Amino acid sequence: MIREKETTLYLGPQHPGITGNMMIKLKVQGDTVVSATTHVGYLHRAFEKLIERRNWLNAFTLLCRFCVPEPDPMELTYARAVEELDNREVPERAKYIRVIVMELARLQSFLLWYAGQAGSGGLYTMGQWSVGDRNYVLDLFEDLTGGRIYHMYIWPGGVRRDLPDGWTDKVLKTMDYLENRQKDYNQLMFDNTVFQKRAKGVGIIPKDKAVEWGVVGPPLRGTGIKSDVRIDEPYEIYDKLDFVVPTFEGGDIWARAMVRQEEFRQSISIIRQAIEKMPKGEYYNKVPNPMKWIVPEGQAWAKTESVRGEIGFYVASNGTNKPYRVHAKGAAYTHGVTVLEKVLPGQNIADVSFIMNSLGVCPPEIER
Amino acid sequence: MTDLIKEQKLLENVTNPFKIKGRVIRNRRVEVFCDKETVSSVLLYAKTQLGYIHLAHMTCIDWIDENKFELIYTIWSPVEKVHLFVKTKIDRENPVMENIDKIWDQANTYEREMREMFGIEFPGLIGEHDFALEDWDEMPPMRKDFDTHQYAEQTYYNRPGREDAKDVRETLVERSGTEVPDFAKKYSRER
Repeated sequence: MIREKETTLYLGPQHPGITGNMMIKLKVQGDTVVSATTHVGYLHRAFEKLIERRNWLNAFTLLCRFCVPEPDPMELTYARAVEELDNREVPERAKYIRVIVMELARLQSFLLWYAGQAGSGGLYTMGQWSVGDRNYVLDLFEDLTGGRIYHMYIWPGGVRRDLPDGWTDKVLKTMDYLENRQKDYNQLMFDNTVFQKRAKGVGIIPKDKAVEWGVVGPPLRGTGIKSDVRIDEPYEIYDKLDFVVPTFEGGDIWARAMVRQEEFRQSISIIRQAIEKMPKGEYYNKVPNPMKWIVPEGQAWAKTESVRGEIGFYVASNGTNKPYRVHAKGAAYTHGVTVLEKVLPGQNIADVSFIMNSLGVCPPEIER
Repeated sequence: MTDLIKEQKLLENVTNPFKIKGRVIRNRRVEVFCDKETVSSVLLYAKTQLGYIHLAHMTCIDWIDENKFELIYTIWSPVEKVHLFVKTKIDRENPVMENIDKIWDQANTYEREMREMFGIEFPGLIGEHDFALEDWDEMPPMRKDFDTHQYAEQTYYNRPGREDAKDVRETLVERSGTEVPDFAKKYSRER
């Protein structure tokens, strides 16, 4: 038998997979990972510090850039924390619009995840299709907010402007299209033996350790634990809508993929329900002059379910027109560092970026 | 509005054994205040006895006027569905805080970040000293007395031809001889 020497392999920092710039120092024996140490620091932009120099609304230009595939959950979470500090009511219509925006954001993020997950498994066609289809969702955002990726649309007190004429019809048509596309996606990815063989039994998170390890979102639901901020601590109008939080046993990449496959359908259903039930009325409880707007002293914690799991914002005010401290914690903060270091040992080198994608690792969110 | 029964019960369960103070903020939110020596005991007790097994978040706030750092540990019970905030204040001069990565492994990441950004030492903390910054030898940057604007002015320079750091619109007017349209004028920076 040939004894294999232990070697150090540096994976990254140039986009290992399609997740963002970070580096993983792998100790490998043959092509099996023995241990992994993560290194972030390639995308630190000091956003939390810079926010302290800006007023409450200026912060939105930075917040949405915390994690590129998911700008809207950041806006909503921060807005909700500020609303709690300021005791600001949100009009009913704005809550519905926020939910529609959040679920559209979830869909576009799912479509990007399809590309990353399938691409890192060698199925490149999937990425071409899903990123193409993502553009239809981005078109909707462009009509609504003027921006495709970064929107700065959700504000404390509601949303910036009302829905344009005919926009909901366009949304419904896009939903029909995406629903029909599911068949193609299943054939290309989920029913594909290549994907199944690579995903099953790989990157397992043990069910009894998942919550303690800080696992959230689809990776947690992929271990069979039903946990979702939308039902655990309902915000906006999620408690008035009918949707299922899917779970799947196994804790491997396959289980996480199955959870996301079902969540995609649920998001489409939520959007349809929200459009149907949306009342008319005000969409914005206007804040005073933003340059002089003083938010009362206090501290608030708000959390939201993003596509990769819970995102939380801790916001502290000292009673001035600028936030005293804003701290964001996204799913990647645990998934991309300690959970990844625990899951990787024993895996094949080729599966590292595959596992990173399935955990929703987003380096810009880890270091902000 | 609910009558906050489970929140009150949690508050009593945490404050009574440790003789600490706290309050119910609203539904699903309870906070307790303790000194820095008690924090790890409270967290361990809440995790093992009360089912608060998920460390949702940890952060630090620099209260420079009080000369204190406030550390906030947010924990969550998947059964009770309540957040418990454990808060403590430590001295800003030579700040040292107990390391809790034996209770939750992921606390290691938060603590490494706090060590780098606020300069708080956590004895026994494993992991590389650099988290997001590399070869940083200035004051820990998230401290309130670190001035980002001053640091940027001292460290970086304007690129050649832009030494005067003049408004781009004014530079264009000078170079091309065309007028700035009226709508753009009002956005010009005042210097």
